Amino acid sequence: MNAALIERLGAVIAGIVVGVVAFYALYKDWHATGVENQVFKLMLLLLGIGAILALLAGLNVVGFAPKG
Amino acid sequence: MAVAAVSAGGIADHIHPEPQGFVRRYVFSLDHKIIGIQYLITAFVFFMLAGLLAEAIRTQLLNPNGGFVAADTYNEIYSIHGSTMVWLVIIPMLTGGFGNLVFPLQIGARDVAFPWLNMLSFWIFPVSGLMLFSSFLMGAPTAGWMEYPPVSLQGAAGTSMWAAAIFLVGVSSTMTGLNFLVTILKMRAPGMTFTRMPLFVWGQFATAPLLMIATTALAAALAALFINRVFGVPFFDPTKGGSPVMWQHMFWFYSHPAVYIMILPAFGIISEVLPTFARKPIFGYKLIAFSSMAIALTGFMVWAHHMFTSGLAPFLQLPFMIITFVIGVPTGIKIFSWTATLWGGKIHYNTAMLFAIGFVGLFTIGGITGIFLAAIPYDLHVHGTYFIVAHLHYVLVGGSLMGVFAGMYYWFPKMSGRVLNETLGKLHFWLFFIGFNLTFLPMHWLGIEGMPREVATYDPQFAFLNQFASYASYLMTFAILIFFVNVIWSIRNGKRSGPNPWGARTLEWQIPSPPNYYNFKHVPTVYGLPYDFSQPLPYKGLDEELTDAPPVAAGAH
Amino acid sequence: MTAASLPLDSHGNVDQLYIETRELRLQGFLLFLVSDCVLFASFIFAYLYLRNSGQGWPPPGIQRLDVAFAAWNSVVLFGSGATMHYALENFKHGNFMRYMWFLLATIVLGAGFLGGQAYEYTHLIYGEHVTWWGSGIFGASFFTLTGMHGMHVFIGVCYLTVLVLQSAAGVYTRGKFFGITAGTLYWHFVDVIWVVLFSIFYLL
Repeated sequence: MNAALIERLGAVIAGIVVGVVAFYALYKDWHATGVENQVFKLMLLLLGIGAILALLAGLNVVGFAPKG
Repeated sequence: MAVAAVSAGGIADHIHPEPQGFVRRYVFSLDHKIIGIQYLITAFVFFMLAGLLAEAIRTQLLNPNGGFVAADTYNEIYSIHGSTMVWLVIIPMLTGGFGNLVFPLQIGARDVAFPWLNMLSFWIFPVSGLMLFSSFLMGAPTAGWMEYPPVSLQGAAGTSMWAAAIFLVGVSSTMTGLNFLVTILKMRAPGMTFTRMPLFVWGQFATAPLLMIATTALAAALAALFINRVFGVPFFDPTKGGSPVMWQHMFWFYSHPAVYIMILPAFGIISEVLPTFARKPIFGYKLIAFSSMAIALTGFMVWAHHMFTSGLAPFLQLPFMIITFVIGVPTGIKIFSWTATLWGGKIHYNTAMLFAIGFVGLFTIGGITGIFLAAIPYDLHVHGTYFIVAHLHYVLVGGSLMGVFAGMYYWFPKMSGRVLNETLGKLHFWLFFIGFNLTFLPMHWLGIEGMPREVATYDPQFAFLNQFASYASYLMTFAILIFFVNVIWSIRNGKRSGPNPWGARTLEWQIPSPPNYYNFKHVPTVYGLPYDFSQPLPYKGLDEELTDAPPVAAGAH
Repeated sequence: MTAASLPLDSHGNVDQLYIETRELRLQGFLLFLVSDCVLFASFIFAYLYLRNSGQGWPPPGIQRLDVAFAAWNSVVLFGSGATMHYALENFKHGNFMRYMWFLLATIVLGAGFLGGQAYEYTHLIYGEHVTWWGSGIFGASFFTLTGMHGMHVFIGVCYLTVLVLQSAAGVYTRGKFFGITAGTLYWHFVDVIWVVLFSIFYLL
């Protein structure tokens, strides 16, 4: 088990956790009003997307990993 | 559980105690009016310095072989002249200066939203100005105010100083824009809806986002230039894969909106002065207001029209040309609205009004040559010639600076309680107007005939028009000296103005001149547009302004 | 909104001045973030411009960035965004201790991200293919943008540390906690910028 594999595994697991948390928080906040809450919702959405991207990178779907 | 009672009033009812002591009142003041005057004074000092540089340029060009200064020094002089006039004179005067001084009064606010930030953005400004001028000591930038690489990468250390100075003054503008935007959005007096705001406020409202967004883009470009020069990070260095053309994109993405930063507040000043002295409601209030916003928006989409000769792909050139033409439409709407305002009015030819009318005429010329330049074939012919110099001076001197002078004559009573001398003022106007036209009109011909800008010597065939322009420029400088004499004389000896010498109807004229520290004894309620001269004033709550009554204390209604 | 979460002055009345100035500060802070966004956008434009300026990407002699470690490091930062969100939620609901723990977790994760960045930098600078910000346009754009972002994270960590100290000293009450809201906004902003930077540097 090399370092890169551990990193990928970490990215996948933590990516799932963070993604779920972000979208759950977004779901809970969906009806919140006020300027700052609208911004928070947008940011949570982007955060969730970021977590998904990291997850996909961990699964080697996107991004570049050297052979070996 | 019952909701607790509301105690102290909001911002409108909150009056800070006036600071005592010279330093707190006049140096590190938090009061927007004092800060506005500080901005104006500092900017006029830089205006004098940059004016001297301009005269050095014209003196050099008296003779085809130059000879007044060395060629390198000449390059430094016009670079610093341009940078100073844009960043240390016109922008601070129109936004930090008149903006601070007037628009919080016009919207019925007690101050801007963040007074402390306002003080900070003022104090950054003279410091960065000193930095800019200190670049002369270490070899000033030599690539003009645009500082195109690769020349700007090769110059002496002064170019790094230039980048740092402009970065700082950009930070100051960004903070001013942020401050003004929040103030206009949140601190208008009750009843002052967006479509009841005076047009000067609309001008500032359109400018503030430009200051905030475009100036940050400039900060990025300058930071990249700075680290390229100091740390060798090859953003613009073609030997390491960087791109000099990228600087042009980054720079003009700021600097084209900057053109509107320099003109939209002046539009606002003109829109205040014209109806006041024509004694007639402004024609097309909403058109003028919304066309400012349209100009501000489209201003972000035309930057590459400065780069038609820089190897831009043809399919990109065409949309930039078309959008540039489109900007002429809202600008034309303004010109027509101002002309229609004058039509049938009872015109008082005060100095402020003369400058405003002069503005309309000269800005139209500058605008029309702008449309010429937007056309790619024409631009290819005159790019980098004196035609550009003529165009930009018609817009920035005939436009912005005339606007500044109109504003000075118009609001000087509000600053000082005294009126500027009218005789000297009219002399100033006529000498300036004639001198300006004689200086810059011939440059159109010089440019079409092919005289390149930013050169220390030129072909002898251009000698006559250049000498003509140089002598005329001395006349212009003389006119500006008259203005300074007028200001200094009138501060002590001018006629006392009273609160409202012009019979104007916006809010700032309904309170004493100069206004009290807290601006309004009681924040007024607004019922309509300020321009309807046949109607009673659309304000309530101003009855005690001109009496000795104390201001309404916090919490009392 | 219950009375307990309203801003109160020293007499126990609703503080109207606070409500209005908070509104101003919120708007001002959001506009500050907008202009900060433009700063990043300009450098991102520069990066994309250089990337497409002809010689292919990455430039000759430079290896593509390895995504594995960056993915893990990104998740660390994104996780700190989630903990910050719950810090604010808990403060709003009056769970002060949980707020403090979430805040500390955010600081630890943020500092961890910075450590990871430092690790990645040393790899690039001292690794097989030497890349530093003066060596070419790849290094220039990568180190400038991620360095700028790292600077923002560092400022954020400092800010959150100040928040911890202030909260421990009882500066924020249930009605008046704009400092925490601003910190959360800033931290989310830093996270979201990283989503973009991660995508354009490692995934594109």
